[in-house]
Amino acid sequence: MNVQFKKGVLELCVLVLLDKKDRYGYELVQKISDQIDISEGTVYPLLRRLTKEGYFTTYLKESTEGPPRKYYKLTDNGRIYYQELLQEWREFTNGVNQLIKEGDLDE
Amino acid sequence: MNKEQFFAKLNAPLKKLPAQEREDILQDFEEHFAMGFEEGKTEEQIADSLGSPQQIAKDLVATYHVEKVEETATTANIFRAVWALIGLGFFNLVIVLGPFIALAALIVSGWAVTVAFIGSPLLVMINTVMYPEAFQFFDLFFSVGLTGLGLFIGVGMYFATRAVTNGFVRYLKFNMRIVKGGMKDA
Repeated sequence: MNVQFKKGVLELCVLVLLDKKDRYGYELVQKISDQIDISEGTVYPLLRRLTKEGYFTTYLKESTEGPPRKYYKLTDNGRIYYQELLQEWREFTNGVNQLIKEGDLDE
Repeated sequence: MNKEQFFAKLNAPLKKLPAQEREDILQDFEEHFAMGFEEGKTEEQIADSLGSPQQIAKDLVATYHVEKVEETATTANIFRAVWALIGLGFFNLVIVLGPFIALAALIVSGWAVTVAFIGSPLLVMINTVMYPEAFQFFDLFFSVGLTGLGLFIGVGMYFATRAVTNGFVRYLKFNMRIVKGGMKDA
């Protein structure tokens, strides 16, 4: 996939995953990399940036096994941003799909 | 690459960041490795799927510098942010450095005109001292007029510089968001 494409899409993936419930970093990374071929490490800089921009807050929670986990929680601003991105994404994919469909008909 | 090597490579470029921030970042990756171990993965497997530690560090450093510019847009901060963003990939060499040079040239030339106009009576005086016979009142009046014009341009340049700086900072932020991500063919 086009390199320039990536960041916006990754952001959307993270936001989608956090919309329903809080998750910790490793969980987010695994969920995304199950579906999309990514270098997993790039998700962390993204999480930091979105946290600093006020779209997430973080908190530590003890787990039954292993060290405490850092959870990410979507803020109200984050939710608004998520809706915007989702809208953009839908318009974009609809447009592309439409073109593909028309292309098929032409042949 | 094992865990130790991964951390060494990740840590080196992060030395530029405040200690607290670096600790925080390293902690995230410590946690990542710990979880991977629990799932029975080896150090090498985890490090492999994380991808290049240098690239991750570059991304973090660039994010940091762009934030700093947002707080205070000093010339030094802008230079650091531009430099860090260029380091993210060849694409940015064109897409960041290009506009940066164009805008910087525009601003520098605007200020050069301002300074030259304001200082023009000085040049007339120097000329008069060196070649007294060449003195004309027209030169003096004209240069005083230029000084007035230069002051106006100076005020305009002040606002233009601020506007351009703000716009460029916004652009850097936008760029940070778009460029680089994490598909493996990057």
